[in-house]
Amino acid sequence: MTRLLSAEIRKLRTIWSTYVLFGIVMVLDLLFGFALAFAPGGRRGGSAGIVPHGSAQWFANVFSVLDNSRLLALVLGVLIITGEYRHKTVTPTFLAEPRRGRIVIAKLGIGFGGGVALGVLTMLTGLVIGFVLVAVQVHSCLSISGVSQGMSQAVCSTQHGIYYVANTHNMWHDWWRIAPGVVLGTGLFAIYGLGLGALLKNQIVAIVVGLIFTLVVETIVGAIWPTIGEYLPGQAATALEDAARTSFGGGADRLLPWWGGALMLLVYGVALAVLGTLTTLRSDVT
Amino acid sequence: MPLIQARGLTKRFGPDVLAVDHLDFDASPGGVTGFLGPNGAGKTTTLRMLLGLVTPTSGSVLIDGHAYRDLPNPTARVGAVLEASGFHPARTARNHLKLIATVAGIPFSRVDECLDLVGLAEARDRAVGGFSMGMRQRLELARALLGKPDILVLDEPANGLDPQGIAWLRDFLKWYAAERSDKGDDGRIVIVSSHLLSEAQLTVDDVIVLAAGRLAAQGKLQDLLAGTRQSVRVRTPDADRLVEALHAAHLPASVRDGYVVSEGATPEAVGPIMVENRIEVHEMASSSESLESLFFQLTSGEGMHPGYAAGLMGDYKQFTDGPSAAPPPAPRPAPAPSPAPAPSAAGQLGGQR
Repeated sequence: MTRLLSAEIRKLRTIWSTYVLFGIVMVLDLLFGFALAFAPGGRRGGSAGIVPHGSAQWFANVFSVLDNSRLLALVLGVLIITGEYRHKTVTPTFLAEPRRGRIVIAKLGIGFGGGVALGVLTMLTGLVIGFVLVAVQVHSCLSISGVSQGMSQAVCSTQHGIYYVANTHNMWHDWWRIAPGVVLGTGLFAIYGLGLGALLKNQIVAIVVGLIFTLVVETIVGAIWPTIGEYLPGQAATALEDAARTSFGGGADRLLPWWGGALMLLVYGVALAVLGTLTTLRSDVT
Repeated sequence: MPLIQARGLTKRFGPDVLAVDHLDFDASPGGVTGFLGPNGAGKTTTLRMLLGLVTPTSGSVLIDGHAYRDLPNPTARVGAVLEASGFHPARTARNHLKLIATVAGIPFSRVDECLDLVGLAEARDRAVGGFSMGMRQRLELARALLGKPDILVLDEPANGLDPQGIAWLRDFLKWYAAERSDKGDDGRIVIVSSHLLSEAQLTVDDVIVLAAGRLAAQGKLQDLLAGTRQSVRVRTPDADRLVEALHAAHLPASVRDGYVVSEGATPEAVGPIMVENRIEVHEMASSSESLESLFFQLTSGEGMHPGYAAGLMGDYKQFTDGPSAAPPPAPRPAPAPSPAPAPSAAGQLGGQR
């Protein structure tokens, strides 16, 4: 199994699409993070009106985009298994290890690891965003002739009173409230994607099904039957984030406890993978 | 002492296609075994069943009594070069092999060794996406050789190779089959599937002939070819006289493509007749029956392109209709009624798989 695992890692390391995927994650995080930071209103705090820049709520909103990385973790999971079929490398893979179940297990392990790595990258990117935002706020404070007490605490005074608050304390606080959930969520979503890939075999179909289900079907089901919605993969992943319970407000989201979400995701991923192993992967390689 | 045994091996694809039908064969070490048959005869399916990629509908094919899937480290036992095997286009040749080496616990030095062996040393760090068909085929062979297997299975390995490549492969396979394996006793098993008969004739020692998923013949190539007919071909300006003279001597004769062809005759029989009749000769050649005609005989043209089969079968019919000096049929296009499918017999093709 050690050999299979290291071969699977090598498979990811030796093609550029892996790096492209990680690059896309970074770019999207930066893009959406900054866009949200300076957009009027906020993603989930929209009802609360304009969120003061630099506040804890502001950072929570900005960081809340980071959990979208799980969609790319899903793609990663799909690629890990369907790439073998797409490029027919499944033949040499099965020749070297004809016990196909073992390959799926190795892939699940590497998929989880890859997803976690993607989550870590996301959260590091989030940290970069956070520091840049704090720096920008501090800088604009100074230019408005406010009072600065350094990076950790910057308070600006304008004619309307104390207006900008930017500090790394708020940022770290919100970062920590979302980081474990995002990292675990991307890891588990990669497993979920892998399960989809194992079952559907076709790369494009698996990616499209996975994304449409998460982005469209889940949203609709969640809106109509919230009691069902909370058990679906996307909401289960959101439930992993401590921040999702309070900061995003609204109260519209029904969420499982974090361990319940993790369990649900694991069940989805593994059930799909087992199903895929028993059906698609068992089929003839011609 | 056969190492590979197929017994009652059967594979059905869906309700309509019986790709392999109760196949029994043995392959033993020490020579190259040719796996021959027309397209759709079931060669690839059989080899893939041997390699655990395709599950037999019934029956079994075992390696030393074990299914491929039960071999502890198959890479060290069996090497396979498969036609439709894949490479990730972005991965380099070396990385491709390293993957397999990792799974099989083979040191990476062996990767470079194998790349050297197949002549890909210089291309080893290039992405496979830019490889020619022949280079991919060589890379496949390098992968198959990684584990120094004592069984080598090759499905149409000559595809995509240039003439030098084919000649090299031929020598390589003969050498590899004769070589004593590190694992013991009596050499290695090399199985090569092919539809290129002239090439196979130069390479193989034993032959397994498949037709429509069934075993048509098995044995030493020499034994199968022995007892087949010779024919004599003469180029002469006096073609008509020679044909008459041969008929008078109760030898079959016909004019084809400007040559007088006497099938079943020997040069020793034709020579004196030409001298006696003072016939001017520009060229004379004798040939024993090739693997090709033996093959058509064995496979009855099934699964072949109908027109192609009909034409060749025409020859063969004429040939079997006997040496009894029946007036030879017209030179070409009308093959006598034969069991070969008419060009419209789509059913024959429908069975291909």
